[in-house]
Amino acid sequence: MLNFFNPALLLLLQDQSSRFSLMKQSALNPDLSKFLVIGALLFIIGVAGVLTRRNIIVIFMSIELILNAANLNFIAFSRYLQSTGSANALAGQIFTVFVIVVAAAEAAIGLGIVIALYRNKETIWVDEIDLLKW
Amino acid sequence: MTLSGYEALFFWIFALAAIFAGLLTVMARNAVHSALFLISSLVSVAALFVLARAEFIAGVQILVYVGGVMVLFLFVIMLVNVGAEERGHEEIFNHPRQVAASLIFCLLFVAGVLYAVNKGYRGLQQLHPTTPDTAAQHDAARESSYATSATGTSRRTDDSESFGSVLYRYASLPFEIASVLLLVAIIGSVMLARTLRQEASADDVDPETLKTEIVNDPELARLEPQSE
Repeated sequence: MLNFFNPALLLLLQDQSSRFSLMKQSALNPDLSKFLVIGALLFIIGVAGVLTRRNIIVIFMSIELILNAANLNFIAFSRYLQSTGSANALAGQIFTVFVIVVAAAEAAIGLGIVIALYRNKETIWVDEIDLLKW
Repeated sequence: MTLSGYEALFFWIFALAAIFAGLLTVMARNAVHSALFLISSLVSVAALFVLARAEFIAGVQILVYVGGVMVLFLFVIMLVNVGAEERGHEEIFNHPRQVAASLIFCLLFVAGVLYAVNKGYRGLQQLHPTTPDTAAQHDAARESSYATSATGTSRRTDDSESFGSVLYRYASLPFEIASVLLLVAIIGSVMLARTLRQEASADDVDPETLKTEIVNDPELARLEPQSE
């Protein structure tokens, strides 16, 4: 009946349902692009935290979130290259270890700066630390 | 690379957990709650690493981040005063206009990144056309090449072994540089976190500064001769 009256509508419905089943298929089999999307969302959450929060310790935590999103991308691409049989597939995991090392060093130095700042300025709100602002 | 079956289920569980915990990290009022939500986000991302067959990195993530860095964060939160934001009469976000501008930037950025990921991934699929079935066959072949454990019920992955050999074969110089970086970070954070009294007892303060500071804290005058 629908077919007789409006073939275009039927086509649209068919297209919609096949698109839905395609989406379902890709959700049931998460691949590289899903990992990249999760990494991008974590990165954006971290950037939003850095830009909007006033507490300098939470800003440091948001930076850790950003670095972690980058790690997730490295690992996902490393896994993808393993499944394509690339010779140098573990390079992503090695980069990840160095990112973790640099993040640990950055956290130690940054938190030392926070302690020194708190001793001198008695505040951890970034908008009250404005010595360099004219 | 495609996950299927229970792997797909756990992928979505841990992906959503990581994103929600990340959001709560940014939005929590109390910094200690932020740190705890960040820990759960990092653990969820470690679970995603396991799903991507990077077991060694997942262990490193939990040991270094959750065991080391986050404990450091919690100690610093307890050293500095965060009572004002717990009591709730202190604004935790920047000025509303700054927040609005940064949220608009973030939305534009996420739209651009999602567009780029979808478009780029389609190109990558044309470069390496793999169907889920062939990928599953490839993974099963790789899995069956692993040695079985002593009880014979499971297989031992060779991720740590191959990771170690690649690390020392191709990245031994960066590895040494990283150890020097960690040494510098240790020394730097010890130097930065010293109090004035500790600096004075190590005779590491400008004499003019020391003279003005002795007015506030007479204890410093007694510390100085001790070091000489």
